[in-house]
Amino acid sequence: MPEALLEAVALSRRFGGLVAVDAVDFSVRAGAIHGLIGPNGAGKTTLLNLIAAALPASGGTLRFHGEDITRWGPARRARAGIRRTFQNLKLFAEMTALQNASLGLHAGTRAGIFAALVGTPGQRREEREIAHGARRALEFVGLAAQADVVAAKLPYGHRRLLEIARAIVAQPALLLLDEPAAGLNATEAVNLAGLIRRIQGLGTTVVLVEHQMDVVMTVCDTITVLNYGRKLAQGAPLEIQRSPEVIEAYLGGGDEPPAAHAVA
Amino acid sequence: MTRIVTAAILAALFALPLFGPHPFILHMLSLVAISATVALGLQLLLGFSGQLSIGQAAFYGIGAYASGLLSTRLGLPFPAAFAAAGLAAALASLLMVPITRLTGAYLAVATLGFSILVYLLLKNEEWLTGGSFGLMGIPRPSLFGHVLTQPGHAYLLCVSVAALVYFSLLRLERSRFGRAINAIRQNEDAARACGVQVTLLKSQCFVIAAFVAGLAGSLYAHQVRYLAPTDFTFWKSVEILIMVVIGGMGSLFGAVLGAAVVVLLPEVLREVGDYRMLVFGAILMAVMLFGETGIAGFLGQCLKPFSKR
Amino acid sequence: MYLADLFAAGLAIGCVYSLVALGFAMIIRATGIIHFAQGELLMLGSMSALSTLWLMPRLPAVLVLVCGMIASGVLAVAMEFLVYRPLRLRRVPLMNVITATVGMSILCINAARILWGSEPLRYPELFSSSAYGIFGVRVSPQLVWIMLFGVVLMGLLQLFLKRTRTGLVMQAVAQDAEVAQLMGANLTRMMVYTFAIAGMMAGAAGVMFGSLFFSFFEMGFVLGIKGFVAATLGGLGSLAGAMLGGIVFGLIETFSAVYVSSAYKDAIGMVLLIAILLFLPSGLVGLWKRRA
Repeated sequence: MPEALLEAVALSRRFGGLVAVDAVDFSVRAGAIHGLIGPNGAGKTTLLNLIAAALPASGGTLRFHGEDITRWGPARRARAGIRRTFQNLKLFAEMTALQNASLGLHAGTRAGIFAALVGTPGQRREEREIAHGARRALEFVGLAAQADVVAAKLPYGHRRLLEIARAIVAQPALLLLDEPAAGLNATEAVNLAGLIRRIQGLGTTVVLVEHQMDVVMTVCDTITVLNYGRKLAQGAPLEIQRSPEVIEAYLGGGDEPPAAHAVA
Repeated sequence: MTRIVTAAILAALFALPLFGPHPFILHMLSLVAISATVALGLQLLLGFSGQLSIGQAAFYGIGAYASGLLSTRLGLPFPAAFAAAGLAAALASLLMVPITRLTGAYLAVATLGFSILVYLLLKNEEWLTGGSFGLMGIPRPSLFGHVLTQPGHAYLLCVSVAALVYFSLLRLERSRFGRAINAIRQNEDAARACGVQVTLLKSQCFVIAAFVAGLAGSLYAHQVRYLAPTDFTFWKSVEILIMVVIGGMGSLFGAVLGAAVVVLLPEVLREVGDYRMLVFGAILMAVMLFGETGIAGFLGQCLKPFSKR
Repeated sequence: MYLADLFAAGLAIGCVYSLVALGFAMIIRATGIIHFAQGELLMLGSMSALSTLWLMPRLPAVLVLVCGMIASGVLAVAMEFLVYRPLRLRRVPLMNVITATVGMSILCINAARILWGSEPLRYPELFSSSAYGIFGVRVSPQLVWIMLFGVVLMGLLQLFLKRTRTGLVMQAVAQDAEVAQLMGANLTRMMVYTFAIAGMMAGAAGVMFGSLFFSFFEMGFVLGIKGFVAATLGGLGSLAGAMLGGIVFGLIETFSAVYVSSAYKDAIGMVLLIAILLFLPSGLVGLWKRRA
């Protein structure tokens, strides 16, 4: 039985009287691409934010590699190997693509103020490694040519790719993607699906919140469906498409059910 | 290209005393170098890490008084007093570490409150600082037992310190640390998501800026040789802020230019004298409205056609 | 008897702080910026009213107050129109707006120094000098009048905001500018009104403070900060908090000044400010809400 890389037990998040995530049990198998879908307002992004520690949990526990990380902050989780992208891109607008990617390697490196001032050989070596790693990440997502372009000047599709490059440069164990296909056209979405598969090939586990069903159904090994903050269903893409509860949840909410975008 | 220009400027600065300029000019330029040092510290804090502090005068004052008191009361030689000044200011800034959690205007107001507290201490604790009567008779700086009586030598000391601080901060800017604090300024959430320890780095910026301000304070004390609490009020903090803003936020060179403008302008335009702060207030607003990249940014635009690439 | 005096003094200065705090709160709610020049609006109102009084020495106290309020109100609107609106329209980063308000502050202070000189200026007697008897306790008439004016002004403001159309629209804009605009609110006009009212409150505070103590060109600086402390203590962004915070801070400051050396009187506010920002950022109102 493959081990759970990430395990949430009864994870909850309340905003005053509103329960956004209601005691969800959520388990991610190592090496899988795990989709997280649900009608609008289901709590998918909130759940992702809980995993990334962008929000503190109101209840429940979260385990990563078996370790309890419930109280850990976002920076600590990032250092432990959980990286993420943001739904509304959070790039460092004034920096070049290469510099943005380099920041993804901040956590794994150590050269501090003293080393920078003195210019120790260790620090110089680290800088070379950072530059090298950043370039490789940009190549991987297809942005090698844009390395020296300032992030604010990149077209939207490239900015999305850059955010992913920054998140994978440190070869994280777990990658959280928050609506990575938002605003992408059909071609870009297909490229994205391919990219996510290649990321999986590197050994990274992926959790993906997404509305665009083509991408979700093509790429995911498992899908969890949320509704009203609770887990509604979990299973392989085909099962989810055929599940009556899932269809009901989407139809009831006025959204189109997943099967409408079935990819065989 | 920039290396040649930088080397040329440095050479000119260091060679200046050889041309026998009037001592007053050397004195003014020393003050420019001292102000530039404080401004460089604020540039790290504001321009790089994005933390608006309008209380740097507190650390400037702590450094000045520490150095002045240690040399007059305890007879400590200048190098020791100088180092102690920086350390005293840095230690005081540790009190501010909890404040680094705050952002934007709230941080600014907190730093303001802190600097008012320091000012009140300087003014009221007469037994220590001499209060409103001031601290007098601070000796000239001395190196290895040799007292720097010549204004040219004192000038070289100030310029050396300013240059050292400048190049140190330049190295930091281009390092992993510099990238991280710039990231914090541009998008704090994203920086955290990359594993950057935001509060730690922000605090480190505060301490460095305070340390640098303390060193500058020491130079100031031994340059003007008389200190009064009124030298270190909110207005001094504002002056330092203006230097950074006019020079260009985010540019180390800009901080130096800004310092030169703020210190020299009243002298150059004697008529402006009384209206000095009035003009500065107006300039501050104008720069915010029209050209937030400051003088350095403006120069950069002018020089763009000439740079290789 | 002594306690009563202190209490009255605390309440009176508390009213002054409340008015300044209200200005801060209104501007923060509407624009999100901390208006560093708020204290200068207080000072300019105070000085303008004094100048009016020099010109017309027989002017009754109420009219002096009104003159001060008008002066500050006009100046506040000028600030909004000339500086803050262009900044807002250019979508300049927050840091720059804050720096601009600092610049405005410097400009005002130095303009005042040039116009009125650097010496403190006394207000002529605005109120009769014999003390009133209230509940058998003798209280200085100045303090009574100031409290009265303060309460009336704050009451009028509440009435305006809650009962008039314009007031309600202003509240709507403060809560959600986009939606209010969709409903037909004229954002620009509301901004002008917000600044005008904030200015008038500050001007009134300036006249009150001037008549209690004196006016001088730097008075706005410390009073502005204290007004901010009051607003933060009450809960930044809340009007009720601003009023409450002002009174509470006025009392705290007046009573602790007795037990702390007068040289460090201003330090009380600074320490309180830093403590609130660190430990109770949502202020007293936030504390109240958490209990509910």
